[in-house]
Amino acid sequence: MISTAGLTREFGERVAVRDVTLTIARGEIVALLGPNGAGKTTTMRMLAGLIAPTSGTVTIDGTVLTRATGTALRARIGFLTESPGLWDRLTVRENLDIYARLYGLRDRAGAIDRALDRFQLADRASTRTAELSKGMRQKVAIARALLHGPDVLLLDEPTSGLDPEISRAVRQILDERRASGCAILVSTHNLDEAERLADRVAVLQSRLIACDRPANLRKRLTTGRVIVRVNGDANPLLPLARALDPSASLEGGAIAVQLADSERQTPELVAAFVAAGARIVEVRAETPALEDVYLRLVRTEAVIQQ
Amino acid sequence: MLRKELLDLARNRAALVPVVIATVVSLLIPFFVLIVLPSMTGRSLAADPALELASRSGGSDVPAEIRVPAFLFQQFLILFMLTPITGSMSLAAHAVVGEKQNRTLEPLLATPLTTIELLVAKILGALLPTLAISSAGLLLYVLGIMLWEPQTAIAAMLTGRTLVLTLLLGPAAALVSLQAAIVISSRVNDPRTAQQFGVLIVVPLTFVFVGQLVGALWLPVWILVLIGLAMLVAWILLTLFTVALFDRETILTRWR
Repeated sequence: MISTAGLTREFGERVAVRDVTLTIARGEIVALLGPNGAGKTTTMRMLAGLIAPTSGTVTIDGTVLTRATGTALRARIGFLTESPGLWDRLTVRENLDIYARLYGLRDRAGAIDRALDRFQLADRASTRTAELSKGMRQKVAIARALLHGPDVLLLDEPTSGLDPEISRAVRQILDERRASGCAILVSTHNLDEAERLADRVAVLQSRLIACDRPANLRKRLTTGRVIVRVNGDANPLLPLARALDPSASLEGGAIAVQLADSERQTPELVAAFVAAGARIVEVRAETPALEDVYLRLVRTEAVIQQ
Repeated sequence: MLRKELLDLARNRAALVPVVIATVVSLLIPFFVLIVLPSMTGRSLAADPALELASRSGGSDVPAEIRVPAFLFQQFLILFMLTPITGSMSLAAHAVVGEKQNRTLEPLLATPLTTIELLVAKILGALLPTLAISSAGLLLYVLGIMLWEPQTAIAAMLTGRTLVLTLLLGPAAALVSLQAAIVISSRVNDPRTAQQFGVLIVVPLTFVFVGQLVGALWLPVWILVLIGLAMLVAWILLTLFTVALFDRETILTRWR
């Protein structure tokens, strides 16, 4: 749906984005992670057609984004900038109306009414945006980005500064858009949100370090550690665990065992425990949090770039 | 986009106060000169030989008692040309840099809005309201003259010269000036810089005003028409130049 090929952007001698090749399919959400200054906003601006790449291309449904095609392609993109960018002296409805006109919507009033209902802004439609809270302004900005039913959504920190209730509402709306076939790229610092929302996570630090499903990324740091919780005293089971891992230990009443081949050895371990009369409550493979994966990737890349 | 400009201005009417003040001053000064001064000095302006001589350059063959006031009322029309320029300069200067400072420019540029559509909306958004105010002032000006001396009003105002000044030269000068301010506004990150440059066009207009007032310079109507048309052409070229110079990337990535 929207793809980049070798996307690079230089500002003088500084390379902000280097050789990024990424595809976001219809009905997919990709979360873009990266430290401050990693090039996330620059990448999104290139995808939105706001700035031209130094080299490489952006393609939307087979059409390369250029100065000549930019106007037409921008009509298919919804872009949420880092700050809401609303006109303070205009009301919520007026802000949306101007953008509806800019996007050439025929049924402006209908589209605006639906957006106001969907984002629970109907009772604030006549309020000047300067009088809204930060969360409300962000909702209006998101409504504005979605107003024309874009095929591609580029959202820069959509839930930044929002309370949990509004954040959840935003995630629900993005889920709906995904279900309707929208290709969505979300730039975020919220790893938990990225994991919950995104089909894939792309980690950027000038170049694309990794891009995969969150579960696959976590497997990169799989430790092979297995935690077994039993009903009752687990101490008698320690010798059995130490047959596979001499360093096996008790942690909070559960047995922690480091296995060289967890796929093969976990059933063996469980079978040994059951044969010894243990009543298994839980068997859990310890996988690192996405945050751990992200930090490992970013730190490794920082060393490489030095 | 023009709708947004006009809505924004409607909510910020204080921005038009300078235009209103300039219009009122433009209205009052000539009446002060023509009515209050003679009553204070006890001398008719028509009796002043220099003024009487200068008024002849207008080519009118009406009596001096009508010709001199008519000449002066005509000259002060140039003030009404200056009003839209000076009054709307602040609006034009904030045109692009103001959007950037308010962080509204980036989402705007992400829409299908073209550069020329943006710039034309900005200039019309600055010009139309101020033009409306100065036009209202001009109407009051003519009514005021008619109330004071109908024959003077006819001699002064119902002329081709008045039409050219108010309908061509004035708006054209305003367009050039405001466009210059918008060019600068799209190249600098401080609206005050744009404002300073845009006001520069006031200098030649003031020169013309003073020159005609002392009789040293009298531009016939056809010259004024040529100047007006040249200004319109200059505005079109300046607009195209602005579009070519409008660097979205620099504005988005380098301005803070």
